[in-house]
Amino acid sequence: MSIVAPVLSVEHLTIRFGGLVAIDDLSFDAAPGQITALIGPNGAGKTTAFNCITGFYKPDVGRLSFHHPDGKTYYLERMDGFRIARAGVVRSFQNIRLFPAMSVAENLMVAQHVALMRASMFSIAGFLRLPGYMKAEREARDLARYWLDQTGLAQEADTLAGSLPYGSQRRLEIARAMCAGPKLLCLDEPAAGLNPSESHALNELLAKIRDVHKISVLLIEHDMSVVMQISDRIIVLEQGRLIAEGTPAEIRANPDVIRAYLGVEDEDELAALSVGVE
Amino acid sequence: MKAAAFRPNYAALAGEAGVAALVAALLAFPLLGFRLDASARGLALDVRLIWVVYAAVAVFAGRLFFALVVQHYGVRFVASFSRADLLPRYIPARLTHYASRYHVGAAMMAFAIMLPWFGFSDRNLIDKMTLILIYVMLGWGLNIVVGLAGLLDLGYVAFYAVGAYSYALLSSTFGLSFWACLPLAGLLAGAAGLALGFPVLRLRGDYLAIVTLGFGEIVREVIINWQVVTGGPNGLSGIQRPSFFGLELLPVASDGGTTFADFFGIAFSPDQRIIFLYYLILALALFTNLFTLRIRKLPIGRAWEALREDEIACRSLGLNPTMIKLSAFAIGASFAGFAGSFFATRQGFISPESFTFIESAIILSIVVLGGMGSQIGIVLAALLLVGLPEWFRDLAEFRMVAFGAAMVLIMVWRPQGLLSHRDPTLQLGKPVAEGKA
Repeated sequence: MSIVAPVLSVEHLTIRFGGLVAIDDLSFDAAPGQITALIGPNGAGKTTAFNCITGFYKPDVGRLSFHHPDGKTYYLERMDGFRIARAGVVRSFQNIRLFPAMSVAENLMVAQHVALMRASMFSIAGFLRLPGYMKAEREARDLARYWLDQTGLAQEADTLAGSLPYGSQRRLEIARAMCAGPKLLCLDEPAAGLNPSESHALNELLAKIRDVHKISVLLIEHDMSVVMQISDRIIVLEQGRLIAEGTPAEIRANPDVIRAYLGVEDEDELAALSVGVE
Repeated sequence: MKAAAFRPNYAALAGEAGVAALVAALLAFPLLGFRLDASARGLALDVRLIWVVYAAVAVFAGRLFFALVVQHYGVRFVASFSRADLLPRYIPARLTHYASRYHVGAAMMAFAIMLPWFGFSDRNLIDKMTLILIYVMLGWGLNIVVGLAGLLDLGYVAFYAVGAYSYALLSSTFGLSFWACLPLAGLLAGAAGLALGFPVLRLRGDYLAIVTLGFGEIVREVIINWQVVTGGPNGLSGIQRPSFFGLELLPVASDGGTTFADFFGIAFSPDQRIIFLYYLILALALFTNLFTLRIRKLPIGRAWEALREDEIACRSLGLNPTMIKLSAFAIGASFAGFAGSFFATRQGFISPESFTFIESAIILSIVVLGGMGSQIGIVLAALLLVGLPEWFRDLAEFRMVAFGAAMVLIMVWRPQGLLSHRDPTLQLGKPVAEGKA
């Protein structure tokens, strides 16, 4: 597995906010076609790392190289957020960021803006409803329908995104990110606030994204039932530093992780950890 | 409130009313207490303190009456007048339904097209409707920036001015016709929109509003001070009138020209020009409307709305916020440019007086009052805000009072605007079969 070039390599990533070192010399790789989970206690710097990878923060030090499956390499630390998304690194947000006053279907169409804009040729072909544009629009609708089916939102296509229940909004955010055509999907706590059956469905969806669509996934998650079951590799952060890295089984057995992340005495969390054991 | 025991505490109520009357008297003292009289001996200050007393007494009585009504009927009765669903009782609820709104729109359009041929139509009415249509067009143009892209623009009149001066200068300097100048004026105004857009890309909300307000003033100041080109405060006069496909709408043909009346062998009437101008602005306004309706369903239109909803989410999906904002500014501005060149050709004279901040405020009020993003709402709002003051010129002194009162009422009853229903730009529908198993 380590022979294959990683889809994302983070090397020596460091970012400071004033005197606070949020991330300190963090290096890890995400392998292609795998689900890599980033875990750690609150304030460990997981979301900050995400914000660096997706261009919302500029790191002080470090190189973030994204190896597109077509062979190109992008250095994300130098790119604008929207260009990173165009290159194929698309993220979701911890606090859901949908377009609430637009319908579910419209949310998914906006996600396909780049392709549709190209087809509409600065809107001229769109105004004239040229066949090339109409075809692109039809395909975009089909893709939107496909991901609505996959996320179980097909019945809600025309309702306002803001009026969906919480769990559906989470799924819509994943559907929207998938419509943007990512090669590396970055999900920031997709299971937060989901009930057990919903997070089980999320597991299946993520597995499908990895196995059927061959999309690499980078995941921040607190929900151990999700992390332990579907992650291929887990990166553990604490106070901006990497403290462990490995397969779920290795992480579960790692004394540093148990001490730093779970707290030694915490029986509940330990129990949660072993949920993933087959 | 217990209905059984209705024993109002008159002393408390009178005290409350007294405080209100005192406030009213303080306000009325400078506003109503003095009056400048222009008599033969020059200006004289007329002190009329009795008016202050009238005002205080009226407020005292009104406040007392209101308080008694509240006590007698209960707060709920009074509150029922300020419920959000009051207005829809008067504006048919069906108007918010898509299909019937389409019919209402079609009916309004048919009425607008037929208007000059109705028996009751006279010059005056057509002229007023022309003015209203200018504001409808400006409202539809600003709606792209404010309603769709969510960028609060308080300096929209600047682009209107750029359009008007572009037309006046292009036609008088290069002798270009109205039809050649129209797209150029739109382009120049669009360029001004870009020029404004660049420095304000990082700003949102209140900050953006203040900078655009400043931009509007800058443009007006430039026009006032750049005497050589713009004629300064004296403005530009003798602006070329529009022609009907090369036929002049004048009583006598210019050198080598033909008048409309001669060409069709009919008698000249000034009404011909009025009606022509009316149809011209109607066509321009309808073009703006069709443009907006169509572009909303294109990727760029959806991107505008998405930007209004959440800029960060837009960026995470690969949308370039810079391009989206600039395109909204430029396209919105170019419609103001079209409207401006129509204004110039209609008036034949333009000066900085016509492009003051109050114009921006009226256009923005039309958009907000109409319900952001609602095309028909903007027509209604323009009729109210521009039409009513025209018909009630005798009451012009009370215009600002009515304006303020209308805004307060709207804020209480329909904070989202008269008609504020957003049509989705596409319908995917529900799956016909039960989907994949």
